[in-house]
Amino acid sequence: MGKVIVITSGKGGVGKTTSTANLGTALAMIGKTVVIIDADVGLRNLDVVMGLESRVVFTSMDVIEKRCDLDKALVKDRRVEDLMLLAASQRNRKDDIKPEQMFDICERLREEYDFILVDSPAGIEQGFHNAAAGAEEAIIITTPDVSAIRDADRIIGLLQNQNIDPISLILNRLSPTLVKKGNMISKNDVLDILNIDLLGVVPEDEGVIASTNRGVPLVHNEQSPGAEAYMRIARRMTGQRVPIPEMREDNFFSNILNWFSRK
Amino acid sequence: MENAIVKLRGYKDGLHLIIKPKVSLKEVEEAIHELINGMNQPLEGTSVHIDMSTTPLTSADLMELETHLTEKYNLNVSGVNLIDDNEESPIIAAPAVHIIPHCLPTDNQQDYGHAEIVRQTIRSGQTTSSLTGSIIIYGDVNPGGEVVASGDIIVLGTLRGNAHAGANGRLSSVIMAMELVPLQLQIGSYVNRPPIGQKPRGYPEIARIGAENIIIVEEFIKF
Ligand SMILES: Nc1ncnc2c1ncn2[C@@H]1O[C@H](COP(=O)(O)OP(=O)(O)O)[C@@H](O)[C@H]1O
Ligand SMILES: [Mg+2]
Repeated sequence: MGKVIVITSGKGGVGKTTSTANLGTALAMIGKTVVIIDADVGLRNLDVVMGLESRVVFTSMDVIEKRCDLDKALVKDRRVEDLMLLAASQRNRKDDIKPEQMFDICERLREEYDFILVDSPAGIEQGFHNAAAGAEEAIIITTPDVSAIRDADRIIGLLQNQNIDPISLILNRLSPTLVKKGNMISKNDVLDILNIDLLGVVPEDEGVIASTNRGVPLVHNEQSPGAEAYMRIARRMTGQRVPIPEMREDNFFSNILNWFSRK
Repeated sequence: MENAIVKLRGYKDGLHLIIKPKVSLKEVEEAIHELINGMNQPLEGTSVHIDMSTTPLTSADLMELETHLTEKYNLNVSGVNLIDDNEESPIIAAPAVHIIPHCLPTDNQQDYGHAEIVRQTIRSGQTTSSLTGSIIIYGDVNPGGEVVASGDIIVLGTLRGNAHAGANGRLSSVIMAMELVPLQLQIGSYVNRPPIGQKPRGYPEIARIGAENIIIVEEFIKF
């Protein structure tokens, strides 16, 4: 039985779709069987980021309305084995799908695949509830800014009420230079407020935009720091113990203090 | 008289001794001596509030002044108001010593000893309330989260959101947290908020209504 994990954030534009695409790809690259589901009905773009836009024939809506089988609606990835995409309908609205229908799709996929990653839309309305309906676990994406953290906190509360557990965190777009200068909320500040397990930190990486535009997930380009971060996170998701490398945070003195107290 | 070092004024809640900013303890004591001796009414046994700005009298000065007023003139000091020079929120302006607990209004008619224990962090968008007593939170209250109690609120974590104690009007209610960096505090119908961007202090603090019905925050040492 596989795991269904919803990837969500509350706030838009913080990297849910980017993370779903990269983690899905990374998991498949290390030998897992994976389906990534676009639950952003009406505003789909996971297919674009994956470079699979032209191959989408059927969507989850077609499965729900029994126009095709679930197997047939899954689009095979162009580059990695055992990676499938279930696209969202662009014509429909988020409340055209019901949570039970989403749950049903996830339950069926769990029997055949190791990981089912659901890319959630922004917001806390129906679309979010649909995305979370079939999930047993959640990954929260946030960027180190106050409004994204606030929304993440709201989402965590909602997920906890639905008994989704564990809920872990990816801190995206952390800029090492800004953190060093003390101009950015640090990893520890974020963890202090959200108080959930940290699954990983993805640095700000220009490569993300280029890879999005080419439709090739970043993890295919091993050189980039963002790709490395996503590969490490994927390995953690499979239960491997991979340390989270420390970015130099805070000021010189607190680093010295850390260093002393670690001895 | 407008520039006098000390003035006595009668207000709705009693007599206020108003101390001019930027004077030394010695000057204040001399001025009080003159003022009281020059009056043709005896003041013995009366209660006074002290109204003063934060500088430059220290809390030790204040305690000395209080003893002086009690011993020499037989006055009861019922409270101290701090008027902050910079017009900052009084929440930072009033450290512990300046609150004299017996001036707090109390109504112990109802039993507020009953407390509800909440074993979770109150996150953005969540509210937890008890209108029959106090609340103890084993966790944080995050920005956008809210706790409402008719009694006291005790947060065994960081209070970053909103807390409303004494929601039925019990003004002796308190709000306490291991780290108190709220967006807003409310006790009864009185509201206060700390200055924007206040950092946690690293020790527990307690908020209550002090003189002039201003919510003040002090380091928590004991109840
Ligand atoms: N680590 C990163 N470094 C740089 N840009 C990023 C990073 N993560 C995401 N982005 C950019 O942020 C934008 C929003 O990302 P997206 O994954 O679509 O967010 P969401 O799905 O949460 O709305 C995209 O333009 C993407 O390229
Ligand atoms: Mg998206």
